[in-house]
Amino acid sequence: MLKVEGLHSYYGRAHVLQAVGFTLGTGEVMVLLGRNGAGKSTVMKSLIGLLRPRGGRILFRSTDVTGWEPHRIARHGMGYVPEERRIFADLTVAENLAVGRRPPRPGLPAWTEERLFALFPNLGRMRSRAGGRMSGGEQQMLTIARTLMGNPLLVLLDEPSEGLSPLIVEQMAHAVRALKGAGVTVLLAEQNFHFAAHVADRAAVIESGRIVWSGTMAALLADEAVRAAHLQV
Amino acid sequence: MTVLVVQLLTGIAGASALFLVAAGLTVIFGVTRVVNFSHGSLTMLGAYVAWSVVTRLPHTPAGFALGVILAALALAVLGAGLEVVLLRRLYRAPELLQLLATFGVVLIVQDTTQAIWGAEDLPLARPHWMRSFVAIGTERFPFYDLVLIAAGPLVLGALWLLLHRTRFGTLVRAATQDRDMVAALGVDQRVLFTAVFALGAGLAGLGGALALPDGSANLQIDLSVITDAFVVVVVGGLGSLPGAYLASLLIGVLQALGILLIPKLTLVIAFAVMAAVLVLRPQGLLGGTASTPRESAAPPLVRPAAPVLRAAGLALLAALIAAPLVVGPFALTVLGEALTALLFAASLHFMMGPGGMPSFGHAAWFGLGAYGAALAVHALAWPLPAALVAAPLVAGAAALAFGGFVVRLSGVYLAMLTLAFAQIVWAVALQWSDLTGGDDGILGLWPRGILARPHAFYWLTLGVAVAATLLLRRALYAPFGYALRGARDSTLRAEAIGLPTARLRLVAFAIAGAAAGLSGGLSAFAKGSVFPTYVAIGRSVDALLMVLLGGVQTMTGPIVGALAYTGLYDTLLLVTSAWRLVLGLAVVALVLAFPQGIAGAAQRLWRGRMA
Repeated sequence: MLKVEGLHSYYGRAHVLQAVGFTLGTGEVMVLLGRNGAGKSTVMKSLIGLLRPRGGRILFRSTDVTGWEPHRIARHGMGYVPEERRIFADLTVAENLAVGRRPPRPGLPAWTEERLFALFPNLGRMRSRAGGRMSGGEQQMLTIARTLMGNPLLVLLDEPSEGLSPLIVEQMAHAVRALKGAGVTVLLAEQNFHFAAHVADRAAVIESGRIVWSGTMAALLADEAVRAAHLQV
Repeated sequence: MTVLVVQLLTGIAGASALFLVAAGLTVIFGVTRVVNFSHGSLTMLGAYVAWSVVTRLPHTPAGFALGVILAALALAVLGAGLEVVLLRRLYRAPELLQLLATFGVVLIVQDTTQAIWGAEDLPLARPHWMRSFVAIGTERFPFYDLVLIAAGPLVLGALWLLLHRTRFGTLVRAATQDRDMVAALGVDQRVLFTAVFALGAGLAGLGGALALPDGSANLQIDLSVITDAFVVVVVGGLGSLPGAYLASLLIGVLQALGILLIPKLTLVIAFAVMAAVLVLRPQGLLGGTASTPRESAAPPLVRPAAPVLRAAGLALLAALIAAPLVVGPFALTVLGEALTALLFAASLHFMMGPGGMPSFGHAAWFGLGAYGAALAVHALAWPLPAALVAAPLVAGAAALAFGGFVVRLSGVYLAMLTLAFAQIVWAVALQWSDLTGGDDGILGLWPRGILARPHAFYWLTLGVAVAATLLLRRALYAPFGYALRGARDSTLRAEAIGLPTARLRLVAFAIAGAAAGLSGGLSAFAKGSVFPTYVAIGRSVDALLMVLLGGVQTMTGPIVGALAYTGLYDTLLLVTSAWRLVLGLAVVALVLAFPQGIAGAAQRLWRGRMA
């Protein structure tokens, strides 16, 4: 589904990503784990094209999408759920969803409002509420739902658990598993190890813009030393 | 009483056409964040196209309506073309360079329009149906004005439906808030932006066409409409359509009533309203939440000149001192003009670059200095040197008094408030003819005694301009300059470490005003006269062009810009009558080639070679 090779990204002169590489198979849920400032969000932004990588290659569905405009990458089947959520505050829930709507993919059931409201019942009850007048958890659900309206084959989820109450985090975990169940491939960026452990099949640990460890979630759970070295604050 | 009602209705009718233009401006700004200076030019073209089409169609209401719609469509197509050819390349460029590019378009459209339709005003021969009247009490009210009154709310309603009931509208509103996120959701921004530009340009054309029967198609429409439309958009709140309608009603009605009550102040009213609104409610009447500011890199550091550049500057200075011994009187006049322009540009650069306060009305201070010096000589019979001292004092004092309101705002709002003040000064210079001589200006200000000799006056100009520019530079490398730049880059953080940001900005504003006033004083004596054109928009635009051409974030920028601009301008005047067209094309080409300004580009090239 996704193959990243030697990715280099910069903010101005700051060299943030230094030869990041990993692969992600169809239907997998992979988590990118790392501390604040390790480069998780930068990986996400580079993949969707909001940040133009200065080196390396991104192969998405066997197509080289490096340097493409964001909308082309999105149309090719990549969905992006940003960390800051970036809800359209003056638009209603229904309108936010409408912005994300794209044609269905052949052979896959399309995401509809009904299907999304079944996944996130809260949203269905506030269809005509302005996005800016929702709680953080509700906004997070709306961002995910908005991206799913584009019927993506791969979803980039940037810290979906950040700043949310344990109950909502539980719902997020449920949602991620539901995505996997629906055949969507997921790349998750997280600091919350427990959340990641609940939902991910595989993990890559990122530190100072480099992938320092990768393997199955089970292997990471077993490897106390790696977690101590790279993940604990 | 009925007189008042009729006047009120006249005001509302005028407001409608203005609203259409302003609506286009605000829609374009909302989505693309481009302050489109050429919007008035699109309106002007709308009037001309409508004139050409309507005069060829049957003189019936249906024929007129068809002509108006065709004009709007033609402008929509033109607007789309403008977006594709020019603006699309500038979305990531600094706001002010976009402004500069669209001003280049204004110049191009001016000359092109004149070439196609001629310099004469083209009034529309009003057919019979358009000349009919409706009786209101004892008064008669033109039927066509009723059509205009209806047009405003109709278009407002149609736009509301478009924005709230269609997918296109939803995308437009989403992009107004976060265009990158819209792109990440798979929407092609380019198509969206082109469509929005076409919509805005179509509205401008519609406004120009509808206003045609009450006036004429003429070459003054562009600048008069753009200032009015800016005022409406800013008073209503950037990006708010109902706000724009409310603001155009308010201004239209106040202007119509103002003609009855205080005819002398009509020119001031719109700008006084804007100044009052901006002071009381900086975000405009219905301006709501500001959208997330787009991520922009911190402005580059202003560093002292490299030794090579310093040597070049000294060589240039030596050449300038020696110039009178070599060149003739005409060249000396041109050099003197360039030096005056240099100080004017440097003063604007001082507040725009390090001060972070862009101004669309810098001519206010230039004009106040010029009039101050002129009146000191003319009314008080002061000698020239004393009058030259008075010039910066008058301008600086006015800037200090007015600056208190300005420094609380930022960005486009701040720029518009300075424009409002400049327009008020301009109106006073024009309408208070007892003091200022009105349109005839103040004449006979030639230097006397030893300064009457061109050499002597040139050296005085050189000395004053260079000394003042160096003082401005000195201030930037003093703790004051550091604090000022700190306040620009982060007001919050600067305040947190105890810097009085508002006072810093106010002082910078007053210094810039005084320096511009000094330049105005020099100019008054160089030309031997002052006119209201010294305060007109054109003069402010000159300063902006000079600073932006040179590049805002370098110290050499205003110097290079002033010399390049006066050089280009004087050469073009000699060579071609279509100087606007050539200058406009040059400006557009320069912006596309050097989004960092000429000096900025040279600096990058230089550093790149060193690295």
